[in-house]
Amino acid sequence: MPYHLNFGFVWLHFDRLLSGLALSLSMAALAIAIGVAIGLALAVAHVSGSKATRAAISAYVEIFRNVPLLLLVYFVFYGIPTEFDIRYGATASFVATLAIYAGAYLVEVFRAGLAAVPMGLIEAGKAIGLTPWQRLLHVRLPTMLRISLPALGNTFVSLFKDTSVAAVIAVPELTFGAQWINLNSFRVVEVFSVITLMYLGTGYAMLRLMRLVERRFSVNRT
Amino acid sequence: MSPGFAAMLDALPFLWRGLLVTLSVSALVVVLSLVAGAVLGLMRVYGPPVLQPAVQAFSDIVRGIPVLVLIFFVFYGLPVVGLQVNSFTSAVLALAIFSTAQVTELARGALQSIHHGQNEAAKAIGLTFGQRMASVILPQAARRFLPAWVNSVTDAVKGSALVSLIGVGDLMMAIQQVIGRTYQALPLYVLGGAIYFAINYGLSLLSRHCEQRLSYYQARE
Amino acid sequence: MAATPVVSIRGLWKSFTDTPVLKGVDLDVHRGEVVTIIGPSGSGKTTLLRCFTLLETSDGGGGTMDGVEVGYRDDGGERVPRSERELAPIRAETGMVFQMFYLFPHLTALQNVMLGLVKVRRMARAEAEEAAAAWLKRVGLADRMQHLPSQLSGGQQQRVGIARAVAMAPKVLLLDEITSSLDPSLVDEVLAVVRSLAEEGRTMILVTHEMAFARNVSDRIVRMAQGTIVADGAPGEVLDGVVPSPSGRGLG
Repeated sequence: MPYHLNFGFVWLHFDRLLSGLALSLSMAALAIAIGVAIGLALAVAHVSGSKATRAAISAYVEIFRNVPLLLLVYFVFYGIPTEFDIRYGATASFVATLAIYAGAYLVEVFRAGLAAVPMGLIEAGKAIGLTPWQRLLHVRLPTMLRISLPALGNTFVSLFKDTSVAAVIAVPELTFGAQWINLNSFRVVEVFSVITLMYLGTGYAMLRLMRLVERRFSVNRT
Repeated sequence: MSPGFAAMLDALPFLWRGLLVTLSVSALVVVLSLVAGAVLGLMRVYGPPVLQPAVQAFSDIVRGIPVLVLIFFVFYGLPVVGLQVNSFTSAVLALAIFSTAQVTELARGALQSIHHGQNEAAKAIGLTFGQRMASVILPQAARRFLPAWVNSVTDAVKGSALVSLIGVGDLMMAIQQVIGRTYQALPLYVLGGAIYFAINYGLSLLSRHCEQRLSYYQARE
Repeated sequence: MAATPVVSIRGLWKSFTDTPVLKGVDLDVHRGEVVTIIGPSGSGKTTLLRCFTLLETSDGGGGTMDGVEVGYRDDGGERVPRSERELAPIRAETGMVFQMFYLFPHLTALQNVMLGLVKVRRMARAEAEEAAAAWLKRVGLADRMQHLPSQLSGGQQQRVGIARAVAMAPKVLLLDEITSSLDPSLVDEVLAVVRSLAEEGRTMILVTHEMAFARNVSDRIVRMAQGTIVADGAPGEVLDGVVPSPSGRGLG
């Protein structure tokens, strides 16, 4: 039975996809912001902390990188409320989950960036009499950020794509919107093609943005 | 014995069956994507110039969308174009496509990271294309490919959790079903998480071990 | 009486993205001659070697080895470029040693030298191993045969590179700035090997900056500048400026 393409239903309900995309982006942005804060703090703590601190941070990273995001989402949205009698909405629950998940990946990006700061720059900092804290703030972190930009860009796009998992707890983001259209019209190919383009386009835009940021800040690369 | 702990113990045989499904999905995906990805990677680097952009486009598009979207696309899309497949097959197909795109990128990276001087030195002693690939390029590329590839294997295992959403009776679905019966959500999620963790962390330790053993080849270039 | 030159290059042109690097080069090298090519960087010396060994495709002209055209064949009167398959055995007849060595890092020194013997010369493994071992002994690495390149010094790696090229019994040996990447203290051991090969009567084309060595070991020196040959004669003539070089750049 030949399949005839018909985008009618999709265009009729395109607003669901647009608002879904907006929600996906907002959730990603919020989770990334929190995740960056976690990642930076823990990366610095890892480098300057005790063995116990390092072990705890490694445990956090390994747990959240080796367990499926889906399970984490369920754990936070269903598991915790059932056990501790708290309530929160699906969106808030997902953002919190994704933020902690993001933190685990970003710690690694920032750690690698920090390790890649050329020894020469740090020694130059020492030579002009900067204290360790000043060296961290004025030499190592700024340099680390410039070095990490490409990896950060890729991680951010990855986290944006991960917002699709929110659909399983009925958060009205992009994939959820597409599923609604799919289940109400069976225009599978049409709707999923459209959101494929939307995900690809957004991801591409994010990477271009990162490249612009890179160019502005990567002035002198020794 | 607390109800949570009891629930965990009772659930074990049921979870075991789900785990077997998870492992079989993952194993099939890994094997299929390794073969397909290696072929596409070789094609991307050494194949006819007309095909190279097509392979790159495939890889970029598939890697640019969420795994869940791909799973839904395949699961709902195949029947609509006339192919009736069960959810297990859809799941394996979708994950295999996703993993193949990843493996293609890894293979491309590994092949292109071999310094062009290696190919030239091999040409200089008169080796043909096939001999150069077999004796010089592939042995070196394989060493660089392996650690990164083990990471894509853990991605496949994590991705397999999503197939519970299209009705495949994997570990994730087993967890959900036990919770549905016993209402002991937290302990079951913790148990399930521990099982996934054991598998993936084990694999990542393997990857690190491989990297250490093979890194001494990276010395002089 | 001039026998057919081993190497005969005529009218070789090569450009890289609109910049001409070789502008019509002619060069003959006869059996047993050692020819050294000197000149400033960018003069086309390395490109000349690479075009001859077909690591690059020239844009015009060509070369022959013992009278047989290297890059093209005669297809019913038409000059047709040779396919990759055809080029392999021709490349086996030219031995090339590279500035950056390019040893195969996953193979031992012995295996590096054996590879061509087994796969191209079709020798039996045992025979190839014997021959390779003999060559490694010859270049002074008898005790390093089972070492990987990462376990060898630069000078040792280059000597393996020479053994790898020479073991193939090529008609002509091409040595492209083989000491330029070496620590100064390691240069002499490599030059000693080259000298002993030259004294055996091998046909060799060298590109080098080691002027004293070039004067010592060469039968002829060819000076290149900006893509053409500007001087071609005995070492004394070319190096001591008897044959004037248009750029007026003096010695070296």
